[in-house]
Amino acid sequence: MNERTISSAVRGSVVEEDVELTIVELCRACRTSEHEIELWVVEGVLQPRGASRESWRFGGDALARIRLATRLRRDLDVNTSGVALALDLLDRIAELESRLAR
Amino acid sequence: MKYKDYYETLGVPRTATQDEIKQAYRKLARKYHPDVSKLADAEARFKEINEANEVLKDPEKRTAYDQMGSNWKAGQEFQPPPNWDAGFEFRSGQGSPFGAGGTFGAGADFDPSDFFESLFGRRGAGAGAGRRRASAQGEDHHAKVLIDVEDAYRGAERTISLRAPVEGPDGRIEIQERTLDVHIPKGIRPGQHLRLAGQGNAGIGGGKAGDLYLEIAFNPHSRFRVDGADVYVDLPLAPWEAALGATVDVPTPDGAVQLTVPKGSAAGRKLRLKGRGLPGKNPGDFYALLAIVVPKAETDAARTAYESLAKAFPNFQPRPNS
Repeated sequence: MNERTISSAVRGSVVEEDVELTIVELCRACRTSEHEIELWVVEGVLQPRGASRESWRFGGDALARIRLATRLRRDLDVNTSGVALALDLLDRIAELESRLAR
Repeated sequence: MKYKDYYETLGVPRTATQDEIKQAYRKLARKYHPDVSKLADAEARFKEINEANEVLKDPEKRTAYDQMGSNWKAGQEFQPPPNWDAGFEFRSGQGSPFGAGGTFGAGADFDPSDFFESLFGRRGAGAGAGRRRASAQGEDHHAKVLIDVEDAYRGAERTISLRAPVEGPDGRIEIQERTLDVHIPKGIRPGQHLRLAGQGNAGIGGGKAGDLYLEIAFNPHSRFRVDGADVYVDLPLAPWEAALGATVDVPTPDGAVQLTVPKGSAAGRKLRLKGRGLPGKNPGDFYALLAIVVPKAETDAARTAYESLAKAFPNFQPRPNS
C-alpha cells in the first residue's frame, strides 16, 4: 500500500509464459531422470523444440505435466502409454468441467 | 498416539495374500489418487492407503506389525510394546528402515504418521543423505500458494512458510522452517508456476541452491469463476431489462463497470467485455452470463401486471414443440 517503501518481496518468473527449460532443468524441477523425460517425449506427452536431446527446450507447461505424469507412474504403477492415456483423459475431463462451471 | 489398522485401511482380512494386498492397494490408489479423484478427502485417504501399503507389502514389516497382535482396534490409544521389534532388520542403519538412499514405493511425497514412525523409524534421518556428494546443487522445492482472483488483477504479496531439510553443524539433516515474502505478478493464472531462482533447498558443500517453484491456485470466489484467462460472472436481470434492453452495473474483480444489455436478450446469453479478464500479454475476456429473475406476484398490482402481460402476448408459446 505504501508507495514509498520498496518491497523486499522476492520476484520470480512465470514458468508457463517466460521460461524454457532444458532437459537438465526439467529433471531437477520434477525430480526425475533424463531417461524418463525421453520416455515422455517418445510417448508424445512432451514436444520439445530442438532436434537433439542436448538442444531440447521444453515449454514451461511441461513442468506441471511431467510432475503429474511422474506421480501417476510412481503411485499407480502405470506404464508410460497408460499414463499418456490418463493425461489425455484428464485434459478432457478438465475441459468438460470448466465448460460446466461457466 | 492412535493405533492404525492397516488391514482395515486396505479393506483386506489379516489372512490376505501379498497378491490380494497388492490388488486392494492398486484399486484404492486409483480411486483416491489426488490427481484423479474429485473426492474432498482424497488426499488424506490416499496418504492412509499408501502408509498401509508400505507396511503390508513388505513381508518383514508386515510380520512385525502382525506380531503386535490382532486385538487392537483402529483409533485405540497405542504405545509400541518394549522390544516388539527384536529380531527385525529394519531398525538397523541410521535408525531408519530405509537407510541411506532408501526409497519408498510412495516416493518423495510419502509423509508417514506418528504411528508409522514409532514403529518403523523416522524417514528424515536417511532422506537426502544417500546421494550426498562432496558438492551438490540443492534440490528444487515445490509449494502451493492460494490467491484471490483480485490478486491476479492487481498483483499481490504473500508471505509463505517453507519447511526444508538443512544440514546441521554435526552433519545431520534437520527440518528447518523459514518464511519468504513473494511478489505474485499481475496476470498470473490458476495452475501456473512461479520460479524463484536460488530459493530452493541449500546446496551442499558450496553447491548452488536449488530453485523454488510455487504453484498458483485460486480461492473459490462467491461471484467470479475463472477459466484459464477468462472470468465469468452471473448477471441477473429483470424480465423488462432483458426484453427492453438496459444499462446495468456489473461487478468485475477490477471494480464495477457499466454494461449495455441489448434488447431482446435471452437467459444464458453471454455478454463479453473484451480484454477485461485476467491481464497479461494476452489478456483474457470477462463474460457476464445473463439470467432472468422473475418477480413474485404477491400484490394485486403485480398480479394485474402479469395478467395484462399475458393479454399482450396472446400468441406467445413458451413451449413451442410440446
